Amino acid sequence: MASVTLEKINKLYENGYHAVHDLDLEIADGEFLVLVGPSGCGKSTALRMVAGLEDISTGVLKIGDRVVNTLSPRERDIAMVFQSYALYPHMTVADNIAYGLKLRKMDKAEVARRVQKAADMLELGPLLERKPKQLSGGQRQRVAMGRAIVREPQVFLMDEPLSNLDAKLRVQMRAEIAQVQHDLNVTTLYVTHDQIEAMTMGDRVAVIKAGILQQVGPPQFLYDNPANIFVAGFIGSPPMNMGMGAIVRVGEGYGLKLGDTALTLHPAVLQEHPRLAEWVNREVAFGIRSEDMEDANVVRGGAPENSTVSAKVSLTEALGSEIVVHFELPIAKVVTEDTKLLEKESGADDTGVHTEGTRFVASFAPRSRVRLGDTISVVLDTERLHFFDPESGLTLKG
Amino acid sequence: MSEESIIATQFEDIERQGKPADQHPVSLGSARGNWFKRVGWRHLLGVVALAFAIFPVLFVVSAAFNPLGTLSSSTLIPKSFSLDNFTKLFQTTSFWTWFYNSMVISLLSAGLSMFISACAAFSFSRYRFKGRRSGMLTILLVQMFPQTLAIVAIYLIFVEITDLYPAIGFNTSWGLILLFLGGALGVNTWLMKGFFDTIPKDLDESAKVDGATHAQIYFGIILPLVTPILAITGLLSFIATISEFILSSVFLTQDQSKTAAVGLYGLIADSQQRNNNFGIFAAGALIVAIPTVALFQFLQRYIVGGITAGAVKG
Repeated sequence: MASVTLEKINKLYENGYHAVHDLDLEIADGEFLVLVGPSGCGKSTALRMVAGLEDISTGVLKIGDRVVNTLSPRERDIAMVFQSYALYPHMTVADNIAYGLKLRKMDKAEVARRVQKAADMLELGPLLERKPKQLSGGQRQRVAMGRAIVREPQVFLMDEPLSNLDAKLRVQMRAEIAQVQHDLNVTTLYVTHDQIEAMTMGDRVAVIKAGILQQVGPPQFLYDNPANIFVAGFIGSPPMNMGMGAIVRVGEGYGLKLGDTALTLHPAVLQEHPRLAEWVNREVAFGIRSEDMEDANVVRGGAPENSTVSAKVSLTEALGSEIVVHFELPIAKVVTEDTKLLEKESGADDTGVHTEGTRFVASFAPRSRVRLGDTISVVLDTERLHFFDPESGLTLKG
Repeated sequence: MSEESIIATQFEDIERQGKPADQHPVSLGSARGNWFKRVGWRHLLGVVALAFAIFPVLFVVSAAFNPLGTLSSSTLIPKSFSLDNFTKLFQTTSFWTWFYNSMVISLLSAGLSMFISACAAFSFSRYRFKGRRSGMLTILLVQMFPQTLAIVAIYLIFVEITDLYPAIGFNTSWGLILLFLGGALGVNTWLMKGFFDTIPKDLDESAKVDGATHAQIYFGIILPLVTPILAITGLLSFIATISEFILSSVFLTQDQSKTAAVGLYGLIADSQQRNNNFGIFAAGALIVAIPTVALFQFLQRYIVGGITAGAVKG
């Protein structure tokens, strides 16, 4: 059991490609930290550097109190679960799990005891004499976990272990992995590109883009207080709705102009975003999550003054627990490098139906009666608005 | 039987199947008749091909067991059985020495060549270094040079070597093994590299994280997974060297150092002795064939595919 500290870790390849920039992370003993980001952002490279499978170009890596930059993986006392499981095909499940222990010339009785314990924990008992090719995907994944657990290492490293499983199995295994880590209380560094895994499994989540750490914190904190446009658009499903709007003065207070409508901003907004005062009559990027918008007709006690915007419904999806409503607002899209990357990641087709304005997706209460083609009044909870500098992408909060 | 008539027959069957059984009984399988036209001719073709292949083997076998032991009295089907040729072979020639030499040279050069090729293929597959692509191409191109043309050059080189280091010069087994090893890297390496490429690098890394040293990974994880290609390479090398004649005949001239191929040739080299010695020649050839067949049988179980199935997902 030990903490893992990455101090200004860099990875620079020979051909000049700078994969990881000055990564600073501190993982406490027993903590489950998730590294999340789009494909190719350097998270797997960072993980492999911690494992010792890649050289660290500059920076200091510590496991516990030891500086481990130059130590081989064997000496670092870590265990890794690979995306492709990497089970030894010519050995039985029991031999696969025991391999690391046998290499360390452990006593046979002790090896058998540990293998049995891991097998019991992961329900692999009846499968111990089978070969990997006789197992299903979920079973192979559990064998890979068993191999890591049995070593009783200081750190678990997991490289997208659930990517190759089908959706239903993934949900089940997510819970199992989280449970195992909790029971064993081993420091764990988990890499994934799926933000849902990140949110549900991690004690803390670190978002990485293009080799640079964007933000690190507990999942709910990242959800409520994204540090920039990238984190805002990456975390949360469905993604945060974003658009351009101008800050205007409305009487004594401030407002957000969306097309022709001006929403009055609640005074608390200015307390949390004091810098908004500098943005009067300038365009700012704002974001709002789908659950923070509501159909004006269903809001109890009516909508607050100047907090609604009118729009035409272009699509509804009734899910039973909520109604997902798509509509267009007459405002400009937020176009930055980050939004382009987010669009690419989500697979959004640029050649789709071109509409005037920006498409917003809201989640209404099921008792709302909106239908396709209706012109509705949407209430925006202005306290839950996020504001970003459109040039730098950074939040204007605090 | 023409294409049209075969198709016509099949269509008739299909037509018939649509109608109730009492109007047109459906004929299936052998009830359809015309067995030879449909199926039998393939068996005949197979038998002809088999006869063509087995004819020389049968001739040698019958010559080996022919009590008279001459070429003129040898027939395709053995008329009588006797082991005289074998006893004559063992008593009048140094056959067992030749056989021993053959086995030593072939086994050692096949084994070493397998090992060298595997190491080279592993490097080409796993590592990235300057000269990797050109190295692989060079290996292939160099092997294309005809060995026969090289004999003169090889002979001259070995004249020098025999002067300086007689232990590995002419008429020694080790000299010949070294010579065969010179051709070890080549197509074998290419074949093996392709096979090594199919083993995911994740396995290497997983073993490394588990704490295995490079040697433990190579011998414990990687090699057991490439046994099919190792077996094939070993087998092909063995077959090539045990029947190799040209270089061996130039290299080994003393009786005690000869391989079986060279020694047996010597029995029928002289045109006057050819007729008389044919029986013992056939007996020797038969004995030399045994290790190859045995090796084939032994290696069968290694030449199976699908060993790496289940190692990684997808």
